[in-house]
Amino acid sequence: MKLQSIGEFEELVLLMVAGLHDEAYGVAILQSLEEKLEKKVNISAVHVALKRMETKGFVESRFGGITGERGGRRKRFYSITAFGKRALDQQYAIRTELYEQIPKISFS
Amino acid sequence: MKPTPPQRAIRFLRWFCRGDYIEEVEGDLIEIFEIQQSNNNTKARRKFYLNVLRYFRPEFIKAFKIGQHSNTTTMIKNDLKIAWRHLLKQKMYSAIKIGGFALGIAACLLIALFVKDELKYDQHYTSKDQIFRLIFEFEGDGAWVWFPAPTAKVLASDFPEIEKSGRLLNSQLFGAGTSEIKLENDPQTFHESGFVYVDHSLLEILEIDFIQGDKNTALKNPNTIVISERKAEKYFPDQDPIGKTVIMQGNVLDNTNDRSYTITGVVKLEEASHFQYDFFMTLSEVEFFNGEQNNWNVTNYHTYFKIDEKADPQGLSEKLNLLTKNYFAPAWIGAGDQDVEEASKKVSYKMQAVPDIHLRNGDIYDNLNHGDIRFVWLFSAVAGFILLIAAINFVNLSTAKSANRALEVGLRKTVGSSRNSLVNQFLTESFLYSLISFLIALAFATFMLPYFNALSDKSLIMPLTEWWFLPLLFGTSLLLGILAGLYPAVYLSSFKPIDTLKGNLSKGSKSSGLRSSLVVFQFSTSIVLIIATFIIYRQMNFILNKDLGFNKDQVLMIQGTNTLGEQIASFKNELLDLSGVEHVSVSNYLPVEGTMRDNNGFYKEGMQGQENAILGQIWSVDADYIKTMGMKLIEGRDFNKNMTSDASSIIINKKMAQKFGFEKPIGERIENFNRARTIIGVIDNFHFESMKDDIRPLCLVLGSSSATTSVKIQTEDIAGVLTAIETKWKKFSPNQEIRYSFLDDKFALMYEDVQRMGSIFTSFAILAIIVACLGLFALSAFMVEQRSKEISIRLVLGASLDNIFKLLTLNFVKLVAISILIAVPVSWYFMQQWLSDYTFRTEIGWDVFVITSVLVLFIALMTISYQSLKAGLANPVKTLRS
Repeated sequence: MKLQSIGEFEELVLLMVAGLHDEAYGVAILQSLEEKLEKKVNISAVHVALKRMETKGFVESRFGGITGERGGRRKRFYSITAFGKRALDQQYAIRTELYEQIPKISFS
Repeated sequence: MKPTPPQRAIRFLRWFCRGDYIEEVEGDLIEIFEIQQSNNNTKARRKFYLNVLRYFRPEFIKAFKIGQHSNTTTMIKNDLKIAWRHLLKQKMYSAIKIGGFALGIAACLLIALFVKDELKYDQHYTSKDQIFRLIFEFEGDGAWVWFPAPTAKVLASDFPEIEKSGRLLNSQLFGAGTSEIKLENDPQTFHESGFVYVDHSLLEILEIDFIQGDKNTALKNPNTIVISERKAEKYFPDQDPIGKTVIMQGNVLDNTNDRSYTITGVVKLEEASHFQYDFFMTLSEVEFFNGEQNNWNVTNYHTYFKIDEKADPQGLSEKLNLLTKNYFAPAWIGAGDQDVEEASKKVSYKMQAVPDIHLRNGDIYDNLNHGDIRFVWLFSAVAGFILLIAAINFVNLSTAKSANRALEVGLRKTVGSSRNSLVNQFLTESFLYSLISFLIALAFATFMLPYFNALSDKSLIMPLTEWWFLPLLFGTSLLLGILAGLYPAVYLSSFKPIDTLKGNLSKGSKSSGLRSSLVVFQFSTSIVLIIATFIIYRQMNFILNKDLGFNKDQVLMIQGTNTLGEQIASFKNELLDLSGVEHVSVSNYLPVEGTMRDNNGFYKEGMQGQENAILGQIWSVDADYIKTMGMKLIEGRDFNKNMTSDASSIIINKKMAQKFGFEKPIGERIENFNRARTIIGVIDNFHFESMKDDIRPLCLVLGSSSATTSVKIQTEDIAGVLTAIETKWKKFSPNQEIRYSFLDDKFALMYEDVQRMGSIFTSFAILAIIVACLGLFALSAFMVEQRSKEISIRLVLGASLDNIFKLLTLNFVKLVAISILIAVPVSWYFMQQWLSDYTFRTEIGWDVFVITSVLVLFIALMTISYQSLKAGLANPVKTLRS
């Protein structure tokens, strides 16, 4: 089955969703992304990526409970779907395969 | 208390963001804000705003639906959708409807721009109700604008209602009009036109806009001049023109000297105004001859005045008659005129409002270029008719195609549609058509504008950027769509569902009576336009080819030869030596407009003061004039330059001989300005003014008037002669460009307005017939479509192509024939009216009508025969099988 294409930033976000497991929501994803990538990321970009992947079927979401934080707004937690996981696997496989093709010589 | 994020940003976010995303987005944003604000509150707030703005993108914006739950909008959307589908379904009919409409609208648009520009003339004065031009009317002799020099002064002093008065003198005779000028300390001379003498007060009355100089004193001192902005730019591109001196060149032969003027102002003139000059010379302390400023017998000045705000123009107009009693009559008596009392009764004065000068001048004689309010209305009417023809196509095609819509109407009604909503549906449809037509028309008109400008001698621009233009266009398209769609909408929505569903409705034939009369109307209009075009061209040809009494071909007019001074005699001789030059004559009195004219009273010798004067022109010419112009001497002899006695000889035209009642004019003596001359010859009448007027008395005397030298050329190699003449000119006048024109070109220029009207009518006539034929084409296509089964059966039963062709075309040909019958008398009547303006005119022959009728019949037949032939040649099996 041919998978739908996945962009570079989307892939990163998807990896984060998978990595954060049950705790993946907008700000959490943003913060860990910024930490890992060591650069500023915009929240709206994260949201756009999430929404797109949700329509593509890579992630699904649910609302959390109301807390005193964030002005009483609920969090929306994202989790990766089996389809999303497959996409990641495939992406990973392609990358590894390509990586292996690099001849074993010194690049220094 | 925890600081809250900016509420305004949240409100904005909530306004545009999708409902299912809002809670998440808002929550995340607030969380980020809470993290950041612990460091720096202001920065966090700013960030919050920025972040909100970042969500303003398609993924997050909710679908805005105005009046989401309103039935009306849903219906309008549905109606538009249906209309669009119908438009695409019948591409040919739609194209004809829209194309015709677009053509008509484009024509209207252009005309509207033209009319708007014409109506704008002289409307810019702040006190436009208070400024007037004085008109002198002499019963039976017409009305004109020229008054004696003291008139303006008297107006201001004798009539308390008059606040200010001012004079204008634009006669070439006194050095206005055209002249050679040069700047101080510069040998180069330039030829310029647009010279005029004015009182300073006239600039105030006409509210002339000063860019430089003092508008209160500019022309109050003698020898001052005010120039227009464009001339200031031409002569003083980087300098301040104020205080500079310009010199108008005089001429020894014409007894004029160089005159210096100091520039005291630069003015910007309104383009849409009758007042178009470039050099305003002061009249302050000017007297053109001894006693001129108190002379009531010489009339040279245009006189303007401004009345008091509270004054009653009507009352003043009546009071003006005092001018005759107090000033004119005594002056006439002083000059020895008889019947002064009789004449006084015939004189009256009119006040012409300045805003009326351009368009509503009527028959007032003033030597200026005018528009004509009748043209403005005529063009508007013609454009309106073209639009009407296009609208008729719309109505005709919509009702004709009704059969195709009948089932739809029946079904809609059956499922509960009200008649109103059906009417709405059809109106929406016609509005859509009209809107598309308007867009196409706008593009088309913009594209055609340069051509139209050339045609109408205007410089119009499409006011696309004006705020009112597009809304106005939209509004008009809405209105037009409704007007054109109203009848079809009412007609189509009236079908009874039971009939349509049963298939009882006789297909499209119901309103064929109306349709036929509309077609007749379309064609009558087109035919009237075509006939009008024909006759205008006839008249034009008549004028250009008429025997004028002089030979205008191959005569070169070299202008500005007065600058040669006394050298002109040798210049003339050297020109005569050139091969190809037959005659040369020096005189600025020529039988085309734009050259010298005058008006004088003539008497038989010794009869001045006892008989009424014969009014006529006296032209100063040289001995070669009659030969050069190719005029016909019918009695007596030409001037002879070797006879010194010819200095007091005179040659008169036939008209003058008639006016004097001379049986044998040769040898009679006539006088003017107390100088008697002997008549030595009579020339045949020749046209020296527009053919709208009769030929008036005229006489020739030997004299000098050197501004123009006419050269009669007799050669094949015109270019060669021109070069030779130019070389000669260079030799005599190295500092001035040669200017020349051909007499026949100048002559054609006099009738430019007729020519322009001819071309405009041609364009409109062509447009009208195209639009009408488009309609006819579509109608015939429709007829053929309706009767395709019938035709096939006829063909199967043995009808020939001939039969079918006749069957299908005869009806239409009948309609066109009726149109011709209607159009012929109508156009005959109108063109008779138009021609009656001309004293010399062509006859409206029957051939015009015959040619037009045949032409129109032919065009109409061509239009319908395509469809008829197609039907007749089609394979009947194909149609019958379906």
